[in-house]
Amino acid sequence: MRLLASLALQNLGRRKARSLLLIIAVAVASGVVFTGATLMRSIDSSMAVGFTRLGADMMVVPEGALTNITAALLTVEPTDLVLDQDLFARAGIASVSRAAPQKIARVEHSGIGSHHDSVDLIGFDPALDFTVRPWLVERINRDMRPGDVILGAGRDAALGSELLIFGKPHTVYGRLGRTGVGTHERGVFMSFATLEALAGSVHGPNGPPAVLQKGKVSGFLVELAPGAAPLQARFAILSTLKGVKVVTGDSTMSGIRQGLAALLNGILALMVLMFASTALMVSVLFSAIVTERRGELGLLKAIGARRGQIVGMMVIEAVIATGAGGVLGVALGVLVMRLYERSLVYYLENIGVPFVWLDGPRIVIVAAAAIVMASIIGALGSLYPAWRASRRDPYDLVRGEG
Amino acid sequence: MLSCRGLRKDYVTERGEVAAVAGIDLEIAAGRYAAIIGRSGSGKSSLMAMIGGLSRPSQGQVTVDGIDIWGLSENALAAFRNKRIGYVFQFASLLPTLRLVDNVALPAMLGGGARSSVTYARAATLLGQMGLGDHLDAYPSEVSAGEQRRAVIARALINEPALILADEPTSDLDEQTEIEIMDELMAVNRERGTTLILVTHNLALAEQAEQIVHIAHGTIVP
Repeated sequence: MRLLASLALQNLGRRKARSLLLIIAVAVASGVVFTGATLMRSIDSSMAVGFTRLGADMMVVPEGALTNITAALLTVEPTDLVLDQDLFARAGIASVSRAAPQKIARVEHSGIGSHHDSVDLIGFDPALDFTVRPWLVERINRDMRPGDVILGAGRDAALGSELLIFGKPHTVYGRLGRTGVGTHERGVFMSFATLEALAGSVHGPNGPPAVLQKGKVSGFLVELAPGAAPLQARFAILSTLKGVKVVTGDSTMSGIRQGLAALLNGILALMVLMFASTALMVSVLFSAIVTERRGELGLLKAIGARRGQIVGMMVIEAVIATGAGGVLGVALGVLVMRLYERSLVYYLENIGVPFVWLDGPRIVIVAAAAIVMASIIGALGSLYPAWRASRRDPYDLVRGEG
Repeated sequence: MLSCRGLRKDYVTERGEVAAVAGIDLEIAAGRYAAIIGRSGSGKSSLMAMIGGLSRPSQGQVTVDGIDIWGLSENALAAFRNKRIGYVFQFASLLPTLRLVDNVALPAMLGGGARSSVTYARAATLLGQMGLGDHLDAYPSEVSAGEQRRAVIARALINEPALILADEPTSDLDEQTEIEIMDELMAVNRERGTTLILVTHNLALAEQAEQIVHIAHGTIVP
């Protein structure tokens, strides 16, 4: 093995310019793949937070409910009308990716704030929520429990402190960041169970609001499935669910979400193409190298090199070159990402996506994967020409045939 | 020691099939110096390639010390070439990226088994015997054609083969160097008892052989 590696290294050193060009070509492909993969994973994880912060694509509320449309659909509006909590679970609409139910009750004399302040008590299902918790800027370091509440940015209380709601003690579990959406700013958020436990204390003109009953909700925040057209989804919801109204938010946000998803798919396709074309290039190059060196390969076979040794030498040569290209490509990728970091982060944050780079260990994994892929491409690209040459009789190779 | 039976080599060309070797029976005893002579294109190099395990015959059998070499597996044949046969080709057949000592040690390294230090010591000794003791670290391009050919003979001897096949080993050398190289090869045959088969069109070189095989049109001329 050492002998083959040594021969391979010396062969690479013979045609320095050609070897360097091969390394640079692989470096460009690996650099694109490494940068693309890192950005893709970074954008993907940023989107997981950022796009949920952009809110839902649609809001489904009882027909006849009044709605206050804001740029971002983060919560439904208080209403006396209710829907069944399992409405979407029963319907199974394909164009809907997620539907998060919410209860909202606007109450007075709750004990929160000054005596006459009205407060929005918002119940959400932690298992389905995608518009409340992405805004958490601080929280107690444990899972949410019954009796915990989350405060909107407009309310002030220390984390872990006790908050009396209608005289019942609750624990301040977390606080949301500023959203610019009134309901969100002033709201007090809790699980359905915590809100339903308050039903006996909340009194309206006609008794406790219907939304505090178990199994009833004020509405749903809906996220569309990837690629689903808003209009198509709207018709699907209206034709499937009776007695509902569909409120659409800022279509720009849905557009950006779906556009970025398409961009990421494009980057993935580009990466696959880059690697495929690099493998072809390596294969063509090594076919030429084998042709150029067939006399030497014949000589090596004549003096006793086995087929495996011939193939091994050529493959090692390719792996060294493409592996070096992979390392160089990763280094170039890091450099490019550093250069464009500011403008990229600025652009994404400008459209509401807080950009978060992948953490160090994950970047190392992506870098290692890019280098390994480059090496594998070298091995695959050189394997066929080397195998074909190794099958020839030594005399044919020595005479320059094959 | 060496026996060929019904040996035939056909090549497919644009004008159809051409027989380079058209059915040869041949015996060469162990330790003998044999010369295969003939004009260019007579089939002598094709014959040597089949004898040396370098080119698969279209028909026939080659037996060396009772072993049907073309009946061996691919790897076994490679090992046979490595251990039992030394080649001296008609072209400069040293790897240009390796020093002379590396080139000489290469067959032993490829064959495995021996320790690297032992192999290199033997390679240095052989190069010394060929008068190249001062050129161990030189690259092929740094020595003359004659010195390169001596290094090739040293390489052919590294695994102490039973048979040396030399295909026009002096065709591109001047007269004086040709004499020196042939002296080296004949010394190997004489002193080590190694069978030497020389392919040449030079009758003067062939006259010194113990057995002369004259080839014309792919067959032995009686």
